[in-house]
Amino acid sequence: MIEFFNDYILSALILGSIYALGAIGISMIYAILRFAHFAHGDLLTLGAYFAFELVDRFRAHPVISIPIAMVTVAIVAVGIDYAFYRPFRKSRPIIMVIASFGIALMLRSTFQLLWGTDDQYYWSIQPPLESLEPFLVGAKHLYIGGAVIVLISATHYLLAYTRTGKAMRAMSDDPDLARVTGIPTERIVIWTWIVGASLAAAAGVLLGMDTRIKFDMGWNLLLPMFAAAILGGLGRPYGAIAGGMVIGGLEELSTLVIPGDYKSAVAFGVMVLVLIFRPQGIFKGRVL
Amino acid sequence: MTLLTAQGMTGGYGGMDILKGVELAVDAGEIVVIVGPNGAGKSTAMKAIFGLVHLREGNVTFDGQEITNAQPERLVRAGLGYVPQERNIFPNLSVHENLEMGAYTRRDDIAAALERVYTLFPPLVEKRKQAAGELSGGQRQMVAFGRALMTDPKVLMLDEPTAGLSPLFMDEIFDRIIAVNETGVGILMVEQNARQALEIADRGYVLATGENRYIDTGPNLLADREVVESFLGGGGGNVGNGNGDANAPEGSGDD
Repeated sequence: MIEFFNDYILSALILGSIYALGAIGISMIYAILRFAHFAHGDLLTLGAYFAFELVDRFRAHPVISIPIAMVTVAIVAVGIDYAFYRPFRKSRPIIMVIASFGIALMLRSTFQLLWGTDDQYYWSIQPPLESLEPFLVGAKHLYIGGAVIVLISATHYLLAYTRTGKAMRAMSDDPDLARVTGIPTERIVIWTWIVGASLAAAAGVLLGMDTRIKFDMGWNLLLPMFAAAILGGLGRPYGAIAGGMVIGGLEELSTLVIPGDYKSAVAFGVMVLVLIFRPQGIFKGRVL
Repeated sequence: MTLLTAQGMTGGYGGMDILKGVELAVDAGEIVVIVGPNGAGKSTAMKAIFGLVHLREGNVTFDGQEITNAQPERLVRAGLGYVPQERNIFPNLSVHENLEMGAYTRRDDIAAALERVYTLFPPLVEKRKQAAGELSGGQRQMVAFGRALMTDPKVLMLDEPTAGLSPLFMDEIFDRIIAVNETGVGILMVEQNARQALEIADRGYVLATGENRYIDTGPNLLADREVVESFLGGGGGNVGNGNGDANAPEGSGDD
């Protein structure tokens, strides 16, 4: 049992949380702006590199650098939206998808230019905490777990109790009705970017804390994050969280039966099955 | 005092004029009904007033302000409410949250407005925490009305409020519309159930092919043989079920 936790459960929880944080933005952006944001993974990477700069130059603790990376990436995302997506707001969604694909390529090339293609680390390898033995839990796992709990709670508070958060949910339910209701939709769009991008940035830092920082780390997560958003139901933030945990869990547990190299095929498989048999996802979201 | 006036409304979607010079007016506290066959431009006229269909010509004024092609946000603030025919609630938000969203443009205390909506629509009280999408058709319509009433509008525009409802709920919805009107709210509605709607109308507009055909009081229109025969599905025919030609339920077909 303890072995099972060490080998599978811990990594499933960590991976699932990271997917969940990224999938919230993908899900909300899809519902509110009606396009699949292909550059979302690269916002994760951007967050991870911002935090890396803080850690590297100012000896900041990675956990302290999370909020700073979140704010910075949110600003960048709002800027990208203003410059590249807003002009296409009235175009067909596919135009925005392709624009976001272009942004993804531009961001990734920028990462390679600025930070190279080698792996970077926030810290050297940390041994598991002796006090928690026989569980092989490191300090980084506690930091990640704590950060995820704070972030998910804050997101829940925002969506369930604040005027802006409720308006975001209203808009992801029905953008046209939100407009007719008098909700200032462009302002809510900006808030959607702020929330989605800052959670993605946090996910990037957490992934960097857990493993390493690399220019394609976020891009490689795009598929499982989309699978999580679709599984949970597009436009359903709580569904995205659940979907992220499920996809992360299934990927890790799949290594019990198939070689670890095929792990990412699990997310793809789940996504295909959901699209065929329950396109609205678990929590009845938008159909792709 | 005329609150809402639309004159010479001409426009439509993508270069095609659906409206060809339509005029409409709602006085304070009035019930005004728009009837007419499919494709007459009834819903389009209402959307045009609310800035959702671009007007090439003509003008709309509300409460002394020029509102032609204005943004919905401004119209809601000015005191004009609109309930679309379909997709008029936020299904994943609770009933209470739907009402809160209705009051989004308000910064003051909304307790009195909430109280009024729950008084007008008592069935919503016990459903307040429930997701609006889980409610019955009639109750959803109440949520939709309530949402639009949260700004204390001077005029409420209803697009086919009884479409898709069973006859039992239709009567209930008509009763609620009268109750809303009795609180001083002017009503402008498009209704497939023309006869029943005209019975409660202070004034009725008969539209056909994007133009005004008849304008008169509800009872006068119902007494007019020509109107009844051409637009209300014939003399003795029962049009209550919406089976008459002029009264067939329409989806987006009106456009």
